[in-house]
Amino acid sequence: MNTDPHDRRTFLARIGLLGAVAGAGALLPGAVASPGARAASGARAASDPLLGLVNTALAELARDTLNGLAVFVVPGPDAYSAAQGTRRDEPGAMEANTPDFLIESLDNYVPVPDQLAGPLASALANGLADVDVPLPDGLRPLPTGELLDLDQAVRTLLRNDETVPLSLVIALLLNSLATLVNPAAVGGAFLSPFARLSFAEKAEAFRMMEEPAAGLVSAIDDELSGPLQGTASGLLEFIAGALLEFSAFGTYCESSTFDPASLSVTSTPVGWRLSGYDPGVIAGWDEFQGYYQGRKEVSAR
Amino acid sequence: MRDVIVIGAGGGGAVVAKELAAHGLDVLVVEGGPRHAHPRQEWSRLENDANNPLTGYLRVGQADRSKPAAYRELPQNSFLWQVSGVGGTTQHYFGNSPRAYPGVFAGYQGPDTDMYDVQHRFPFSYSDFVPYYEWAEATLPVHTAPVGTKESVYLRGCETLGLPVQDTKTTLGPSYRPQENAILPPGGRAGLTTDPAELRHPTSTGCTFCGHCFQGCAAPIDAPRNLFAKRSTDNSYIPMALTADAWSPGGKPITLVTDATVTKVRTERDVVRGVTWQDNATGEVSSEDAAVVVMCGGAVETPRLWFNSELPNPNDWVGRGFTDHYLDWTFGLFDSDVGSSKGPSSAARTDYPGYGMNMNVGLMPGIEAFAMTFSDSGIRGHYTNGRGLTGPWDGETGRLVGPELKDVLMHGLDRILNVVSIVDDDVTADNRVTLSALPADENGAVPKVRFVNRGRSKRSVRNREFLAHRAAELLRGAGATKVYRMDWPALPLHTHSTMRMGHSEADSVVDQTGETRAVKRLFIADNSALSNAAGGPNPTLTTQALATRTSEHIFQRYFGGDPWVRSQAPTVSTDGRVTRRLSELGL
Repeated sequence: MNTDPHDRRTFLARIGLLGAVAGAGALLPGAVASPGARAASGARAASDPLLGLVNTALAELARDTLNGLAVFVVPGPDAYSAAQGTRRDEPGAMEANTPDFLIESLDNYVPVPDQLAGPLASALANGLADVDVPLPDGLRPLPTGELLDLDQAVRTLLRNDETVPLSLVIALLLNSLATLVNPAAVGGAFLSPFARLSFAEKAEAFRMMEEPAAGLVSAIDDELSGPLQGTASGLLEFIAGALLEFSAFGTYCESSTFDPASLSVTSTPVGWRLSGYDPGVIAGWDEFQGYYQGRKEVSAR
Repeated sequence: MRDVIVIGAGGGGAVVAKELAAHGLDVLVVEGGPRHAHPRQEWSRLENDANNPLTGYLRVGQADRSKPAAYRELPQNSFLWQVSGVGGTTQHYFGNSPRAYPGVFAGYQGPDTDMYDVQHRFPFSYSDFVPYYEWAEATLPVHTAPVGTKESVYLRGCETLGLPVQDTKTTLGPSYRPQENAILPPGGRAGLTTDPAELRHPTSTGCTFCGHCFQGCAAPIDAPRNLFAKRSTDNSYIPMALTADAWSPGGKPITLVTDATVTKVRTERDVVRGVTWQDNATGEVSSEDAAVVVMCGGAVETPRLWFNSELPNPNDWVGRGFTDHYLDWTFGLFDSDVGSSKGPSSAARTDYPGYGMNMNVGLMPGIEAFAMTFSDSGIRGHYTNGRGLTGPWDGETGRLVGPELKDVLMHGLDRILNVVSIVDDDVTADNRVTLSALPADENGAVPKVRFVNRGRSKRSVRNREFLAHRAAELLRGAGATKVYRMDWPALPLHTHSTMRMGHSEADSVVDQTGETRAVKRLFIADNSALSNAAGGPNPTLTTQALATRTSEHIFQRYFGGDPWVRSQAPTVSTDGRVTRRLSELGL
């Protein structure tokens, strides 16, 4: 396992966490500034305030990353769409609450076993830190001791399968790829390096998942247990497709304004407005025009 | 001790249950998903509520939708679209009920005989099978589809292709036609009104053109269950099975257990003894013995159960030979309304025996957007995954993402006409279901569905290219101003032949009667038993005809009965005796 402080700083920056903690740290002053010596004393307790802080930061990071994903598929008038260079006047994925749809689906309903999510997160934490990325000045520099503390907190969280939401695994993946596509994405607006990419750069990140580089595949495969080794490339292909397709489906379906009690929508969903879809009264349309060539029945032959 | 236990109440299992219940056998049906007893109160008929594969009421998983869906490993770019529950995948099907092409059956001697999957034909002739088609067609019943705007536009495109119209049940050559479908035709005010007061049964009967076939059919309002327009088996065969004593002399109603997953088929010295199942909600385990067991869980779940039951697999063909019609998607933009979101989801088609078929499809916007982002050719304009196919469509194949996706859908859902190409794909040993090495769920090891996207046979690729070209020509002929082709990766929603029936012991799991070669008194009567991809036509009617045929063999071989299809007249599932008994039972 890589423990060099410089590499770990790079890794934390690349997944977006350095920036995320810097933001969250402002809300909880002093939380990160725990004694660096504690890093050497073994695993952290669940009650450790740093773990809580990092957990919160990781959740915000995941949401920021999925904002960047959702507008990649359906851009709108928001800042994320503007940042990728495709701002639109009409509403898009942000207005359809697609990031909520993705997070809810990924974390609560995608039955990906921890045995898959855990190794994937771990691979991203350990295996992709090799590429050196110059850190921009804007990132709050952490003293080495605090950096190691933070790094260990991340490792603790990622090692504990039950606490790794799938939305975070996806965010780690997208952000790691983002800094491979454009190393400068480690710094700038937003928390997520992926959200900082241009539209073409985001497409390139998806190319890397669909045509996975050998290094990425082997890094993930190395973390998978025996019978699962060799599945990384197929897994990446599947994830890449599912992220795009689910973002599209989530934006154009009724999800954001659906009321389960009445089994209907409370207002016209964004996707219906965008596509001009009209469900009418649901129960039927005046669309019957007759029978082709007047034939209501074919011969028995 | 039951006479027969049927595992799965979907497109095939419901047929076996009804046919054998009609002849007085004591039949227990165990279904892994829910029974939707009151669809009009339970179903919004909106696509996320219905079709979300994780949370929708038409998903694969237990009845409690607050619990995760069942996980199936897909180690490639692909999407497996099945449905559990009474009715199975027929709950979201479009009701299309064409017959398979004669060329996929034994003994075919037409001039195009070499055009088919010649190594994997059905082990009996088309003419021998026709009575079973006729029986299922009369039971469902199957009708010639009416025409709405999207059919008019599609058929207008067909008229430019130089093909004849098919006006027979049997497809005799390249041709086009309205679908033959298992949807009751519009009657009364149905199809002529948007007034909810008039859309009630019996003022309206049959199809109301609501546009929600894929979200489950609950039309018309107030119709008795067996008079719902679409003849998914929860509306047709299962109501008949539950009321068998009311319409069949000597008939015996089935026992139906739902939201309970069979975890083991029990055998003794390669003879079936019974099954063990688990209640999904409580975990309670039950077990019953039976003289005959019929596996009908579908092309993924049946091999899974076989493996988890540790049944013999001497020729290693269990789970192999998965055909999925190698689907592809082409769509056109039009300057005028083509009515995509209204009417039966697909009611017109073009048949190309030896290649497969094309048909129109209308969807709601979420699944339309899914269809437009689903590709094996990367993101259009950015990368191609080594594909990016060109042809009579505009630009390269690939995913529509970002501004392009938005612009296309802002053109208007009802100004987009979709054509799905349904390919006569080859039985290929490497496309298969195995058990996943990922952790088991509460019902045992989960299935892994492997499709080699780039390893399709030359004939399958040839057929798909042919159909995609014809689809683009049709759309241009119909007036499309711009045509897109997607190049979908594997989308198994037509799933067949993983437990295939065949002549040869070397490459089949069941013999020509539907009985498994390895275990006596164990039959398979779902779409996994199909010998091949049926030539491309939608498979459900062929599965149902085959399940009828297999039911006769069960009755003859193990219960000393006589076959009935050639000697009796079928009862239609809309029969008033079924309606009355359902009412008496509060169903």
